[in-house]
Amino acid sequence: MLDEPYRWIEAINNRRDYIEDQLRIGSPVVGLAYGEGMLLLTIGRGQRKIFEVHDRLALSAIGHTADIERLRMLATDTASVQGFQSSVDDVTLNRLSNFVLGPTIKQAFEAVFASAYIIKMLAAELGSHGQDNQFVALNYDGTTRSSYRAEAIGGTEEAETAMRNYLSDSDLTDLSFTAALRIGLETWAVGWDVRRNAENTDHIETKTSEQEEEDTHCSNKNNSDEPSADKEHIHSVLKKELMDGQLDVGVLQESRRSNNKFRSIPTAEIDEAIVDWL
Amino acid sequence: MEHKGDFLNLLKTHNCQIHIDPPATSTNSSPNQLEWTEGTTVIAVRYKHGVIIGGDRRATAGTSVIYDRAEKVLQIDEYSVLAISGAPAVAYEMGRVLEHSFQYFRRSQLQELSIEGKLRMLSRLIRENLPMTLQGIGGVIPIFAIYNLQSGDDNGGKIFFYDALGAHFESADFATSGSGSVWIRGVLYHVNRWGDIRLVDMDEQQATINILRLLDAASEYDAATSGYNPKSQIFPTVKTITQDGIQDLSVERLNQIYSQFVETDHVR
Repeated sequence: MLDEPYRWIEAINNRRDYIEDQLRIGSPVVGLAYGEGMLLLTIGRGQRKIFEVHDRLALSAIGHTADIERLRMLATDTASVQGFQSSVDDVTLNRLSNFVLGPTIKQAFEAVFASAYIIKMLAAELGSHGQDNQFVALNYDGTTRSSYRAEAIGGTEEAETAMRNYLSDSDLTDLSFTAALRIGLETWAVGWDVRRNAENTDHIETKTSEQEEEDTHCSNKNNSDEPSADKEHIHSVLKKELMDGQLDVGVLQESRRSNNKFRSIPTAEIDEAIVDWL
Repeated sequence: MEHKGDFLNLLKTHNCQIHIDPPATSTNSSPNQLEWTEGTTVIAVRYKHGVIIGGDRRATAGTSVIYDRAEKVLQIDEYSVLAISGAPAVAYEMGRVLEHSFQYFRRSQLQELSIEGKLRMLSRLIRENLPMTLQGIGGVIPIFAIYNLQSGDDNGGKIFFYDALGAHFESADFATSGSGSVWIRGVLYHVNRWGDIRLVDMDEQQATINILRLLDAASEYDAATSGYNPKSQIFPTVKTITQDGIQDLSVERLNQIYSQFVETDHVR
């Protein structure tokens, strides 16, 4: 039956709904370029989510832990073998995302009888030999989106839009590590807040039809180009989540003496950067 | 698929061969008829702040000098160094495999490989190279130096040397390897035992002076070891491993130590 085109498209759409529903609760990941390099951050629940892939490559993801692990290992294995057989200069994010990760994710997504990857990824590459730094966001269907200065992935399309709007409204020129960390955290909170509001909206929608109009209004408000909340509100969301969750920050830092530019930032260093801030 | 962070297995699954197959013994070309590049002097000494490692720069094939800027002291990761002696083709590949193995373990397993794990990995590489070693054409006897941040001591510097079959031994004070090492081992023992100051109490400058003088002495007796080349300003490689990581001694610094303490006016 699925060989009929309509059925196949329907199956793909069902799969899309299913994956989006699974991803909805994911904690966003924000990537920002700053003076010394690039940073990736998220607030998690104890499990590390920012990974070193190669000398100048880092990766983060939201989704099912087992899927994250499988694709992380695929990326790490491919990069490691390529870097050894040829040269570390030949391990690039473009090659990894367009020829390895993207096709693998797309193939699994469209094979309707097999399981798809429940995942969204954000990868960062510290440019070498005068090339620009690059972020690549990979969606669960294998599509990619690249940017140079900042990027964010979230559990829902709305959360991602709100975070990207927040980033484009922020001044991202010549950021210090501390400034980048703070903007990154605010962006994370914007994405998290949109998700939380959407959850509340869904909850109310099931209650009464009278409230529907108000809920839609509320949802539209979150989708608008304006950041969904003012700074004070964002900070209060952040404060609460930082208390419950664990901040995970990884950087690709050009000034590191070794060829390996990735560094997971220790808690003490993060605390120092955000103390007296919120 | 189960992941154990084993880089050698990963390479095998990707059909990537790292070892050179030795020539069959039945062929006419005996190793003795070929001139294999080998011969060197490398030294590692535990000093006040960690380990200092030095190596000459000459690569030879038989009686010919084929290269005078060879790097024989290789940084493997942020806290470990491999000083190589033996056939360069195998030794450099060994260093490269080791570097990628440590990185692969950390990246895949999300934790550093332990010091014991690092030592065993090098043992495995030496052991897998045994056919080449037995044929007398590709043997490598390295020194491995590492700084143990978790040692709890003031000095976490550690030196290990290997035999041709891959067994490793920890050395308390110093280790040497290569064709020139036989000429200086006794001198190191003498300096450490009866010198004004023990090796482990020396600061960076004192340890460097000794390393440079010993390499100079080795080059005097071993044709495969080079000394300082003033014409081209080529100095031995000297690296330190301390709790702050690995540092290369700059050419300026080596030049200064050379002119002040090695090639001084009163040298006979």
